[in-house]
Amino acid sequence: MQVTGHREQVTGVRSQLTGKPGVARVLAASLLSLLLFGGRGMAQQQAIVLKGGKLLTVSHGDIDDGVLVMQGGKISALGAAASVKVPRDAKVIDVTGMTVYPGLIDSESSLGLTEISAEAMTNDRIEISDEIMPHMHVYEAFHAESELIPVTRLNGVTNAIVAPDSADTLPGQDSFIQLAGPSATEMLLVRDIAMPLNFTGEQRRNESWEKRKFPQTRMGMAAQLRQAFLDAQDYQQKAADYEKKKADAERDKKSPPAAPKRDLKLEALLPYLQGKKTIVLAAESPSDLETAVRLAQEFNLKFVLNHVSHSRPMLDYVASLKVPVIVGPIYETPKEYERFDAVYSLPAELYKRGVKIAFASFDAHNARNLPYQAGFATGFGLPPDEALKAITLSAAEIWGLGDQLGSLDAGKTANVVVANGDPLDVKTDVKRVFIGGEEIPMISRQTRLRDEYSK
Amino acid sequence: MFRNTTVWSVSSVLSFVFAASVLLAQQQPASSAHNEVVIKNAIVMTVTRGNIKNGSIYIKDGKIAAIGESLDAPASATVIDAGGKYLTPGIVDSHSHLALDDDVNEATSPVTPQMMMQDAFDYQDKAIYHALAGGVTTSLLLHGSANMIGGQAIVIKHKYGAGRDAMLFPGAPRSIKFASGENPKRVYGSRNELPSTRMGNFAVQRDALVQAQDYMRSWDEYNAKVKRGDKDATAPKRDLKLEALADVLRGKLMVQIHCYRADEFLTEIAMAKEFGYHIRAFHHALEAYKVPEKLAAENIGIATFADWWGYKQEAWDAIPWNAVMAMRKGVRVAIKSDSNDFARRLNQEAAKTMRYGGATEEEALKMITLNAAWIVGVDDKVGSIEVGKDADLVIWDGYPLSSSAVPNKVLIDGDVYFDRALPGYGMPHYSEGQ
Repeated sequence: MQVTGHREQVTGVRSQLTGKPGVARVLAASLLSLLLFGGRGMAQQQAIVLKGGKLLTVSHGDIDDGVLVMQGGKISALGAAASVKVPRDAKVIDVTGMTVYPGLIDSESSLGLTEISAEAMTNDRIEISDEIMPHMHVYEAFHAESELIPVTRLNGVTNAIVAPDSADTLPGQDSFIQLAGPSATEMLLVRDIAMPLNFTGEQRRNESWEKRKFPQTRMGMAAQLRQAFLDAQDYQQKAADYEKKKADAERDKKSPPAAPKRDLKLEALLPYLQGKKTIVLAAESPSDLETAVRLAQEFNLKFVLNHVSHSRPMLDYVASLKVPVIVGPIYETPKEYERFDAVYSLPAELYKRGVKIAFASFDAHNARNLPYQAGFATGFGLPPDEALKAITLSAAEIWGLGDQLGSLDAGKTANVVVANGDPLDVKTDVKRVFIGGEEIPMISRQTRLRDEYSK
Repeated sequence: MFRNTTVWSVSSVLSFVFAASVLLAQQQPASSAHNEVVIKNAIVMTVTRGNIKNGSIYIKDGKIAAIGESLDAPASATVIDAGGKYLTPGIVDSHSHLALDDDVNEATSPVTPQMMMQDAFDYQDKAIYHALAGGVTTSLLLHGSANMIGGQAIVIKHKYGAGRDAMLFPGAPRSIKFASGENPKRVYGSRNELPSTRMGNFAVQRDALVQAQDYMRSWDEYNAKVKRGDKDATAPKRDLKLEALADVLRGKLMVQIHCYRADEFLTEIAMAKEFGYHIRAFHHALEAYKVPEKLAAENIGIATFADWWGYKQEAWDAIPWNAVMAMRKGVRVAIKSDSNDFARRLNQEAAKTMRYGGATEEEALKMITLNAAWIVGVDDKVGSIEVGKDADLVIWDGYPLSSSAVPNKVLIDGDVYFDRALPGYGMPHYSEGQ
């Protein structure tokens, strides 16, 4: 909920306990390692070996009493204890009795776009002035030093999609982040990775009679979207015409034609119109789902589905589309006519139909609870292995990063989590987190407050 | 239902198990004042006396009549085989706003103690069912926090489909909701009215309590005159608002205060001492870990979140270790929902305290059962599995303090109100259009 009243003092209240932000500490640790090891960059210097744990590889089963080697920021080797050669001078960490699994990936969050939900000046989540805002880039607002990021990564979430809020039909473009790094530059792994197209009804401008404006209905939303993509097609054609005329003029040694005026909105739509990038198509109810899919198909957009929260009767149709689904959140309360488990059971039902699924927190402060949502879905029939996959490898694949992230495999980025149990259980304590092979200090603003008041 | 007075051991009724449970689910009437039920083959988590493996419970007239590894029960009792699953007391949600439509705040004045939740209780709200399916059997329905003094709460049992009056918790004490901090000052401050600061908040509260003192005094004087036989005594004019606050001063209403910051706990405690009432619990209480001894010394409980934080300035110092840090210093801690969503999975929220701070299984479970029941004032009736208490019970699929546990059956007063195995909504006492 956006609260615009902000009479309260916003900036002065941050406790002196806050100390350095976590990212700065990572930076400090990296600088320290530079001094100690004379390295040339920020990347991992010393090989780290995790020995004795149960490796949940996600891609090729579990390995009891395994060994995993991280070198140069990547996983360089892993396997049963006897089969892996431990490099000389490596730092060996005994993780006997622990589980070791790939860093978790949150397929939609607002990390870095919000600090305190009710304090408007700490939020950069959505540009509400217009519904068609594809030229908003979350990376231009992404606050790398957010206190929420260390809180989140301490629970094993190492990567996330950062998306604008969903109150516009086209609110802007997502970025894919890593939850540690010297600055925003390194943390923003992929900028403009995808673009949400929201069609849930929430985007209607029908808050009150006084504030009503176009589009106040779903018809208006659809018409506005259709016009935007038609305009983009036209813009694309004009650009092509110009290029041709320009080439002709060069060939004929004539003066060049006047360049068409740039339009940032339409320009931003082009990679999506051309099918080069993915649209994240959000709908909840069956009718919205069909309308949104028709729109996407009309313009040959490449898309993944988002939410489908109240479309239980439509799951065969969803499966027939052969696209992945970012499901839920399964905490969405059922509609009046739905059974208590209509939303809880969506992941299992989609899995049964062969649909690739991923979970998302759709949150920032509570993004750390991503694994518990996957765990809850197992209570309604989703196999635990598939639940873990939906917050690791499947998510990486959906975002086109399956070759780099999402599983314990040699050659992948060393985003690795060590915990004392089932990654999906609320009781499990995450003990160590490695991002790009660097061990993250298990410190957040919250642990500092805990320690301060435990004295 | 006392057709057969012969007492049988539980094992002799083994063969009825499955047929009986289906019958129970489908045919039991909504009102079963004299029901007899045996739940067998369960891991009974009593909350107060440890766990009983392969335990059974005999329920008579809606109350727990016997608990044990083996027990005597009449053959006529309906048998529910828990299938070796966990059995816990029904969850008590000590801070809920469900079933109130939008009638949570009468935000037209910062002091509205005369607002009675029972006048707004929307007993057909499906959220009651959603929470029931998550194992919640009792909820304290509180006013919101727009006002310094919001109104009088009600306690309900989640007997969805049984009708309004059957859902009101019999004999539950009355509670009143106070609030402090950001919400009142935001609501009234945004209108350029008093209060717009915490100073204003407390001035408004104190002013109302001073008026209540005067009101109480005038009634006390009148009653004393009547007692003396003074025929000229004239009764003061009744004022519902001051009458409610006078009941606070007389200790007839339990005070439940929405309060986040450590400094505000201390101010509220000072105010309570100034006017001579007791605070039952601070709700939200996200900074309890900063001053736990101060709360413990006053016997004030807290109803808090497991790990929710950062949604507003006064929730910025929230840490997930709060519940356990406060508990270790002697504070009675409950984990509550304050949300129709969280109400459906309070068991997971409680389990978080085992991870953050190392609560034991029993301590974690207490936070959503017995401790919550104490905050509501019904811990003598619910919140643990003990002989004589209401048979509000949950049979879980899986270990309840985990991510994946789901209630299979929920009983209230010995009656099955939710059964996941049933088609439709899974509610024996409810059908659409009823």
